[in-house]
Amino acid sequence: MQNQMVIEAQGITKRFAGHTAVHALSLQIPTGSVYGLLGPNGAGKTTTIRMLMNIIVPDEGSIRLFGLEDSGRDLSHRIGYLPEERGLYRKMRVLDLVVFLAEAKGVPRGTAKREGLEWLTRLGLGDWIRKPVSDLSKGMQQKVQFISTILHRPELLILDEPFSGFDPVNTQLMKDIVLELGRRGTTVLFSTHIMEQAEKLCDSVCIIARGEKVLDGRLSDIKRHHGGLHLILAVEQGVESVHALLSDRSVVAKADNYGSYAEVELVAGSDPQRLLEALMRAGARVRRFEIAEPTLNKIFIDIVGADAATPRAQEARAHA
Amino acid sequence: MRKIWVVVRREFVEKVRNKWFIISTVLGPLLMASFVVLPILMAERGGAQRRIVVVDLGTVDLADQLVGVLRAPLPVTATLLRVEVADLADVADSLTALVGAKEVDGYLIVSEEAVEDGTVEYRGSNVSSMADMQVLERLLRETVMTERLGRAGVDAEVVQRARIPLRMRTLSIRGGKVTEGSGESAFILAYAVWLVLYMAILLYGVQVMGAVVEEKTSRVIELLISSLRPFQLLAGKVIGVGAVGLFQLAIWGVCAWLLFQQRDLVLRLVGIDAGPTGGFAFPAVPLETIAIVLTYFLLGYFLYAAMFAAVGAMSNSDAEARQAQTPVIMLLVIPTVLMLGILQQPDGAMAVSLSLIPFCSPIAMPVRWAAATVPIEELALSIGLLVAALLLVVWVAARIYRVGILMYGKRPNPKELWRWIRTT
Repeated sequence: MQNQMVIEAQGITKRFAGHTAVHALSLQIPTGSVYGLLGPNGAGKTTTIRMLMNIIVPDEGSIRLFGLEDSGRDLSHRIGYLPEERGLYRKMRVLDLVVFLAEAKGVPRGTAKREGLEWLTRLGLGDWIRKPVSDLSKGMQQKVQFISTILHRPELLILDEPFSGFDPVNTQLMKDIVLELGRRGTTVLFSTHIMEQAEKLCDSVCIIARGEKVLDGRLSDIKRHHGGLHLILAVEQGVESVHALLSDRSVVAKADNYGSYAEVELVAGSDPQRLLEALMRAGARVRRFEIAEPTLNKIFIDIVGADAATPRAQEARAHA
Repeated sequence: MRKIWVVVRREFVEKVRNKWFIISTVLGPLLMASFVVLPILMAERGGAQRRIVVVDLGTVDLADQLVGVLRAPLPVTATLLRVEVADLADVADSLTALVGAKEVDGYLIVSEEAVEDGTVEYRGSNVSSMADMQVLERLLRETVMTERLGRAGVDAEVVQRARIPLRMRTLSIRGGKVTEGSGESAFILAYAVWLVLYMAILLYGVQVMGAVVEEKTSRVIELLISSLRPFQLLAGKVIGVGAVGLFQLAIWGVCAWLLFQQRDLVLRLVGIDAGPTGGFAFPAVPLETIAIVLTYFLLGYFLYAAMFAAVGAMSNSDAEARQAQTPVIMLLVIPTVLMLGILQQPDGAMAVSLSLIPFCSPIAMPVRWAAATVPIEELALSIGLLVAALLLVVWVAARIYRVGILMYGKRPNPKELWRWIRTT
């Protein structure tokens, strides 16, 4: 069952008045993975997630969750969903609210009470259960929202920008819980525009920009595929010969050359080993020759281009 | 179904726990008690110390008679003052000063003209009091009448017999049977029905709108919408607030009934000896009327609550919602403005058509029912039309709600609204 897909989306498209938010997007998210949906603001992440949850219906394409035809809302007892814009009933008492949100997902009242109390205590809100939500600090409210996402022990967590607005302490706490759930076999899909977060948490990612998929796959594969061409080079002697070699645009695409230290990007298809041979032949004494893993951020910018990070406005006008 | 129930329970518990619910629930009976007590208190205090001066401009004995009549059964002290016509202006000035100093309440100028062509003048600080002026005028009329008849040589005893007043008792006929209720009590009942229905539909309908706006502005809706269908949310909210409404009305109803039963006790508590008149008459309410009022309250409430919910879903803040609710409130105000027309002619063309038009019938039909006999076919047609309109409105409102709750930014224009309704 390990290879079964929790989420399969085929060519989903959503158009709003004036622009296409998501275009022909396909996703396969395997059971047990921690999957990042990445993209700049306005790329269509939230729209995609809302379509997966059947909060909005795609104009085209199909979605299957857990291999079933049922909509996300009918499966809400198996899914923990944390929306991007989230709030709470301000006047409700904390425990009542947690119980209500769990009951809305089909958890029996007694269970909801017991487990809600457990989680609240575990996250340090034990003294607050009878207080109205409005008495809580923002960080505590975020914890309450998080509890309501995971209380019913979902098999699939869908987190839309989960850490936005969290302070560092809470971010760490939530990351730990997400990773722990991931280790226990919960599939996690989360969206973020912060690549560093995704890099630390995800085993697979999908990068989207302007509503279209740019790249997806296992993070290690992506890095291997896109990372072989980056070198860090340091030499002790023969700086001139290095300079000549790095200027050869048939091999080197780009080089930040600091004299005895250089960050090099090779032309696609060229073999780093050849460059090393050429350096040795030219008499350079190599101190460091490292094929570097590029950061996800760099891959993203290389592929998408920095202009993709400025979304929507013009495009919306173009479609209007 | 279970999920709707979860929403209903939350809505009910939170609303009932709210301090405004508790305050208004307690204030209701207090207000009712004051309806019973205040008129009596007012009557007791109001009539007590009226002091008037009767200025006699040379009548034969009308002024004497008048002072005698005024003295007898009423809490009025009348002083007689004989004045020559030439001095009237001066006397009037000083009497006016006395009224200004609150020494007396007013003065009555009586001359022979009163007997001849019925001209009498009263100047005082209490002329705007309908009750005072009615009493004064009635007494004057009777005294002048007696005087005229006496001068014409009619025997005083005959005059006495001729003055026995007429009392007409009105009984309303409903469904071919004479009921205990008088015409007056039917009017009071119809009026009470109108007041309760209008207030209840408006207040609880607006609460549904507030609840929708609150979920939207606080963004709780984003959490809810992943596990609840919009229709479950909408239905739960409307039923929950409706249940709160019924609960509150039931509390008030029981209080009103108890108060009516125990009104002597209540009066004694505030230190009034309840006379045989015992405060204001509480109209007998037939069981069918209660059933009709409840039926129309529920149908009307659902109709308006659905519309208010749609308005809430379109708005981004309380302030915006209050602006957008105007058309809905106008619909509810129409039967209210035309209320008197319905009451005066419960079988008139206007009353009949208003009680059939769905948006007016929740108020117009029960008022008509309380005021007069309504043919059963008309009642059935009215309910049928109302239910049909209700289903249509709920369908449209649910579609607006479904799209609206996730839309932030500017309020939709009619064209966009139409697109919301059509989208699948």
